[in-house]
Amino acid sequence: MPSRKHVHAMLHTGAHYTSLILFALFTTFPFIWALSSGLSGDASHMYLFPDGFWPHEATLDWFARVFREMPFTTYLKNSTILAFFTIAGVVAVSVLAGYPLARMKFPGRGLVFVAIIATMMLPSEVGIVPNFITLKHFGDAAAALQGTLGLGPDWNLREWIGLNSYFGAIVPNVAGAFGIFLMKQAFEQIPQDLIDAARVDGANEMQILWKVMVPVTGPSIAALAIFTLVSAWNDYLWPSLVMNSKEKMPLAVGVFNDLTGPFATSDNILMAAIVLTVIPVLVFFAFTQRYFISGMDGAVK
Amino acid sequence: MQSARNYTTTAYLFLAPALILMGIFTFWPVGYNTWLAFHDYAIADGSATWNSFAHFKYIYNEALFHHALKNSLLYLLVVPCIQLAALVMAKLVNNRLPGMTFFRATYYIPVITAISVAGVAWAFVYKYDGMLNGFLGWAGHALGLLASPQAHIDWLGDPGIAIYAVMGFTFWKGLGYYMVLYLAGLQAIPAEVEEAAILDGANVWERFWRITVPMVKPTILLCTLLSTIGAMKAFQEVIVLSRGQADTYTALYYVYDQAFRNYNFGRAAAAGLVVTFFCMLLAIVQFRFFGEKR
Repeated sequence: MPSRKHVHAMLHTGAHYTSLILFALFTTFPFIWALSSGLSGDASHMYLFPDGFWPHEATLDWFARVFREMPFTTYLKNSTILAFFTIAGVVAVSVLAGYPLARMKFPGRGLVFVAIIATMMLPSEVGIVPNFITLKHFGDAAAALQGTLGLGPDWNLREWIGLNSYFGAIVPNVAGAFGIFLMKQAFEQIPQDLIDAARVDGANEMQILWKVMVPVTGPSIAALAIFTLVSAWNDYLWPSLVMNSKEKMPLAVGVFNDLTGPFATSDNILMAAIVLTVIPVLVFFAFTQRYFISGMDGAVK
Repeated sequence: MQSARNYTTTAYLFLAPALILMGIFTFWPVGYNTWLAFHDYAIADGSATWNSFAHFKYIYNEALFHHALKNSLLYLLVVPCIQLAALVMAKLVNNRLPGMTFFRATYYIPVITAISVAGVAWAFVYKYDGMLNGFLGWAGHALGLLASPQAHIDWLGDPGIAIYAVMGFTFWKGLGYYMVLYLAGLQAIPAEVEEAAILDGANVWERFWRITVPMVKPTILLCTLLSTIGAMKAFQEVIVLSRGQADTYTALYYVYDQAFRNYNFGRAAAAGLVVTFFCMLLAIVQFRFFGEKR
């Protein structure tokens, strides 16, 4: 016969898990529903509850049609290009800037650091219009350069660095306070002896950074890369403004335009496309989730 | 050993990429935006002419902008909801029972999905014949409130409801983010405090309000501030869900619309300044409010 206290504890745990599961259903139901609709050959149950939450006449046809009717692989390629170069840029710039802020004494250090951190307070949306105009000027300058150099029209330098270029979609996101701050914090943890030893051996600052500092701050660099990947992969607003040709759009923009545009043929194919877009992020997240959950609480404390 | 002077050169060489890029894409926009707000900008030839506060006068008298500001202030209703739910969520996963890693990760999923794609999924949920109506109809029918298993609410088309529906999406998308921040705050509370309260016979409800809430107050301030500014700036949700129809025009959506549909960059910049001003005002009010109570 279980004691009263025991029953009470059981009830408590039961209620606890029930709440946990209810919250989990709330945060995941759109994707579960999208998955089951994407797998359903028979669309008539899609909007019925609870029938919509499991597949009827399961088939992979809709997923195949996503690849046939949508330039899905082009978008995927573009997302990969954007994410890769954003990560490379963010890591390079943050490592370079973090090192002197953490380990060198020079006039103006405090001011530079405060100025960088202060940008965290700015609403980033304020930069959208000016950056759009700046990129337009970049494009004009490139076109003028092309004219001066007498290059043929198929060079199209305007779309190398101006609007509708990968460069334009990437470059405003490269230098950010978050990355610089993260790397500065990481470099400050490294013992001074390590740096002094390298200096005695005659290493210059670049060699110290590359051969001593970078290898030992691997986890911080990984965390920065992961955060950057997710934000670059999911960025919608800026690429949607910069990229106006379908060949250069990333997933978050291209799939959204196709889903809400006039070519959206059936709801199931849209659901399949949603699932295909979300899956790469989820798989990646499954392997790296500890960086998100623990990396962030480091930032708060 | 290098002299201090050489360090200065090296240091600024290392900082150069960051400072140049931030100068062009972060600092310059602030100044340029302010300048634009006082000028008429022609996008075709890039010429700008001083217009003696015409944009500010215009938006001061424009009903659409008033409406957008009012909606942005109304949007702040999402802040207390999201904070309370995120704190409860963090409390639920802050223990060593099995499966907690799974639940934490699950709660974080909406945060790591693209707003555009998640928005499409939610548009299907909110559709007139969508899943939410399907669910409500089923629940209503099962409870005997509705005669047939169909509910007829136009979530994104009814001007009285649409903004709340968009807020629902913001709520869903942001929960996990604040949960992680609260989790960090909760983990700093020593377990003994809670154990002592249990021995004193405090129930779950009392422990939550008397112990948890006061002890994570700094985190609450941080999260409330972040989500207030986030709510004040809400507009990507509007772009992906309702395109500003059915009375869901928010202040930054107005900025976006003026800039990229009307190509009136000057007016957009002026409206953007007004929104920035409101954000800063709210931040100051909150610091005062929470700061004195502590």
